[in-house]
Amino acid sequence: MTFDAIGIAGSALTVHRKWLDAVADNMANANTATSTNGAAFQARYLEVEAGAGTSGVYVKAAAFGDPAGRLAYEPTNPLADAKGYVRYPDIDLGSQMSQLILAQRGYQANAAVVERAKSSYEAALQIGRS
Amino acid sequence: MTSVALSSALDGLSARQRAIANNIANVNTPNYHAQRVQFEDALAQSVSRGDGHVTATTATSLEPTQLNGNNVNLDTETLSNVDTVLRFQFASQAIGGQFTSLRTAMRTS
Repeated sequence: MTFDAIGIAGSALTVHRKWLDAVADNMANANTATSTNGAAFQARYLEVEAGAGTSGVYVKAAAFGDPAGRLAYEPTNPLADAKGYVRYPDIDLGSQMSQLILAQRGYQANAAVVERAKSSYEAALQIGRS
Repeated sequence: MTSVALSSALDGLSARQRAIANNIANVNTPNYHAQRVQFEDALAQSVSRGDGHVTATTATSLEPTQLNGNNVNLDTETLSNVDTVLRFQFASQAIGGQFTSLRTAMRTS
């Protein structure tokens, strides 16, 4: 079908939005402490794959970070165990920041594709008008 | 013949538009290789034979990849996208002009 460039770019907008959501959630929980009995907050990482033929892109699966996280000595924290340790998620803020920028730029690039596809379709709609 | 050639061009350009949209959609997908749509050379040959009909062919780009196995170049794709849009507008205006001539001929009596 001729007019599916908008759909293809739309699939990429969805993927990039999910990616932005995952990064935002990871960053929001980068400093979420938990008790050592439970698991640390697990960062979410998307696994994406190109669709068959020219059908855009989709999220294949999500991978999760290490539930062990890292231990921090905070005896004053109400969540601390008998030895004074709490669990923090093992999230690299630098990596999350660069992913945030990649996802944002990818989203913008695909939004621009939608705009350009529109100009083609508008031209096609004029065929046959005097 | 001309309108056949023009509609072949429109088909080729819209296939390219779709390939570019797919390349940009996969700009961050690991191990994705960019697709290229070619039809101009075949169309020129077909027109010189007096035919004008041609189907576009798709090839995978052999450009070197980045560390994640992806070889989409966002700047090249954007440029190519703008170029394709303008060519599409040009070809659709030309085909519109053919229909206008046809309509004029039908009104003449």
